[in-house]
Amino acid sequence: MASLKDKLPAIDPRGFVLPLLLIVVWQAVTSSGWVDTRIIMPPSAVLSAGWKWLNSGLALESIGASLFRDASGFVLGAAAGITIGLLFGTSKLANNVFGPTFHTLKHISIFAWIPLLSAFFGRDDLAKIVFIAFATLYPVALATIEGVRSIAKSQYEVADVYGFTPRQALFRLILPAASPQIITGLHLGLIFAWLATMGAEFLLASTGEGLGMTVIRGRAAFRVDLIIFGMLIIGAFGMLLNELATRAESRLLHWRGHAR
Amino acid sequence: MPNAGTLTINKLNKHYRVKDKDLHILDNVSLSIRPGEFVSIVGSSGCGKSTLLRLIIGLEADYQGDILLDGKPISGTSLDRGIVFQEHRLFPWLTVEQNVGLALENSTLPADEKQRSIQEHIELVGLRGFEKAYPHQLSGGMSQRVAIARGLVNRPEILLLDEPFGALDAMTKYKLQNELQHIWETEGITMILVTHDVEEAIYLGDRVVIMEPRPGRIKRILPVDLPRPRNRLDLDFVRLKEEILSEFGIDQQAEEEELAT
Amino acid sequence: MSTIQSLDKPLVIEPLASLLPRISIPSLGNLPARFGRIGLGIIFPLLLLYLWQIATERVWLPPQLLPEPAFVWETLVDMVSSGELAGHLAVSLQRVLWSVLIGGSIGLAIGFAMGLSKTAKAYLYPSFSLFSQFPVIAWSPLMIIFFGIDEALKISTITVAVIVPFAVATYKGIENVPVKLREVGQIYQFSFAQTLWRIALPAALPAILGGVRQGAMQAWLALVFVELLASSEGLGYLLVYARNLMQLDVVMVCMATIGLVGLIFDFALGFIERHFSRWAPKGR
Ligand SMILES: Nc1ncnc2c1ncn2[C@@H]1O[C@H](COP(=O)(O)OP(=O)(O)OP(=O)(O)O)[C@@H](O)[C@H]1O
Ligand SMILES: [Mg+2]
Repeated sequence: MASLKDKLPAIDPRGFVLPLLLIVVWQAVTSSGWVDTRIIMPPSAVLSAGWKWLNSGLALESIGASLFRDASGFVLGAAAGITIGLLFGTSKLANNVFGPTFHTLKHISIFAWIPLLSAFFGRDDLAKIVFIAFATLYPVALATIEGVRSIAKSQYEVADVYGFTPRQALFRLILPAASPQIITGLHLGLIFAWLATMGAEFLLASTGEGLGMTVIRGRAAFRVDLIIFGMLIIGAFGMLLNELATRAESRLLHWRGHAR
Repeated sequence: MPNAGTLTINKLNKHYRVKDKDLHILDNVSLSIRPGEFVSIVGSSGCGKSTLLRLIIGLEADYQGDILLDGKPISGTSLDRGIVFQEHRLFPWLTVEQNVGLALENSTLPADEKQRSIQEHIELVGLRGFEKAYPHQLSGGMSQRVAIARGLVNRPEILLLDEPFGALDAMTKYKLQNELQHIWETEGITMILVTHDVEEAIYLGDRVVIMEPRPGRIKRILPVDLPRPRNRLDLDFVRLKEEILSEFGIDQQAEEEELAT
Repeated sequence: MSTIQSLDKPLVIEPLASLLPRISIPSLGNLPARFGRIGLGIIFPLLLLYLWQIATERVWLPPQLLPEPAFVWETLVDMVSSGELAGHLAVSLQRVLWSVLIGGSIGLAIGFAMGLSKTAKAYLYPSFSLFSQFPVIAWSPLMIIFFGIDEALKISTITVAVIVPFAVATYKGIENVPVKLREVGQIYQFSFAQTLWRIALPAALPAILGGVRQGAMQAWLALVFVELLASSEGLGYLLVYARNLMQLDVVMVCMATIGLVGLIFDFALGFIERHFSRWAPKGR
């Protein structure tokens, strides 16, 4: 339904002023010789380095590796998150027994888990994927809990009247009724997963390929051009994932209509 | 026709506790309903009509007295007892036909039979062409009609109707009243209809139960000994209507004021 | 309207806690029930602790990987009494404080500008929306090049993390001030300052305070990251340092501290937020 194009009003040229200004200043500063161009590179150098990197085949490998980690972690974390959310949302007992622990642990900011995880799982893909899954799990689980709790009693009564089995209640009532929140949680989880992918690649950069590792190695080698280009790619993929999620969200939730 | 048993309600009492205060909602309600009978219930707003239906359908377990079906106490809900809720309670994520299909989720009918039956009932309530529409695309009256189709489609033995025609225009209402009567006559379903429309209660009911509030109880039960199909302008019909309205006295007026605000 | 829409969720990584239903002040009536629930809630951690104890006693895992609970407790007591923990904590908190002050001011300024002036919005909004979709931590390598790995790096990275939630909350808060209220101002011929002070600010305050809370949580998240990445003091540094020496007891103590601070932030700021939004209708 509402794609980015529909949502944005007619493109206002004033929006381009700031980015253009930035590029102009950047170019001016670097060509004026005021700064060390080994540290602050001109935009053209960034582009050409980026182009070279993209053509080297290394780029594809890096992007592929990062997306693979992101997707694996996301899928695992989302599945676990929805399961936990359903459990906590539907069972008072589960919620009372495990809820306090769950809600307390969530205050540990996610990156603080990395040292511990690396002690257990090493520094390779396994540790990274576990971490990404963990980062995805919380937003998805919390949103699912909220979604399940928001289901009206009157809707459960309809399920009762038509003799739904627990399985039917789950697939016919609970999941669809909670789907707005679950999908929002998944969307949030997707953003978190990408953040966690980059975080894991920055902090556990020892082996393998990946966008984050490319950037962090670029730093070690003082390749500012690569760093900046890598950042742009990271940002671009973040935006892409976000846009895809937004579209999926409005498509999946079309039954709600516009007015709520 | 296979029918449900006799529904016997005996000295039924229902309380709600709200913030440590005890609310007496139903007071010693006793009523016996024959298989295949059509009973209308009228009464002012808040007198416990919906509560009574919730008890009969089996959504409330906390009550005193008996609700017996062929002498056996009802326990929980059952596919043999259907209801059309006062609010339509459609699932917003399902289309019209899927919503109607909910009622057949646990029926043993073969799939094509189900589909045919769903289509039939959608047409019955005049919603052909809206099969794929979502509830947010329907008007209040249309949603109510989907709910009626959902209530009828699985042919329960006892069907409870809580102001099912409340949101409809007069023409649609007459048409659906006749359809309902037709289904009742051919299928032998026991029907209990809650309504605010005295004319409707007489037109459809074998008996009209008049309830009064605070606490909710049965004030009077009037048999409607008029041949079907009934004529709303028939002298006996009008006389009966006046008798019932007089039972309400100022209550009815108060309610109209309430409705007006 | 349409532009608010696009600013809706995707922009900010909401802190997890904001998804939680709000805690309510318990009434005295259900005290026994609450104790029952707390009792239930304590069973699981106790069970875990017991399992942990058994696991260390029977050496299911090498003690390097799973230190004894008592040993971790000792470490905690040591680190608290020696002031080591407090020292690192203070460094970390200071960094967060500065970043929230700087980033918060920038975020508020951007948010107010976009919320109050259509022109400012036309210039700022597209760039801002682009900027806000960048994973915060992606900035850090560039920051390292520019600022080295000293204090400036931490402050700048955390600051970047704080700007977005502050700006979004402020912008949305002000945009959503009902037209009806603005019209009241028009009728009484309010000046710009009066409109801002009497209408926009109070009406947007709950939203802004929500942004403050989110900003603080984001800051805490970014702090741990940047301290893990490059640091010579602070909780994150201690984490990496201990991890490299395989002192998992210290790692656990650090994690607990980080969690506790996050919890305190969340509760304190949540309390303030609720206090100042008492007049606002409940629910969304
Ligand atoms: N869950 C509940 N908790 C407390 N009180 C309730 C509850 N449900 C209903 N009541 C009360 O019970 C009384 C009867 O309600 P009920 O819905 O049965 O009325 P009704 O006769 O169907 O009214 P109407 O014609 O307006 O639908 C009302 O006073 C109502 O406030
Ligand atoms: Mg009712």
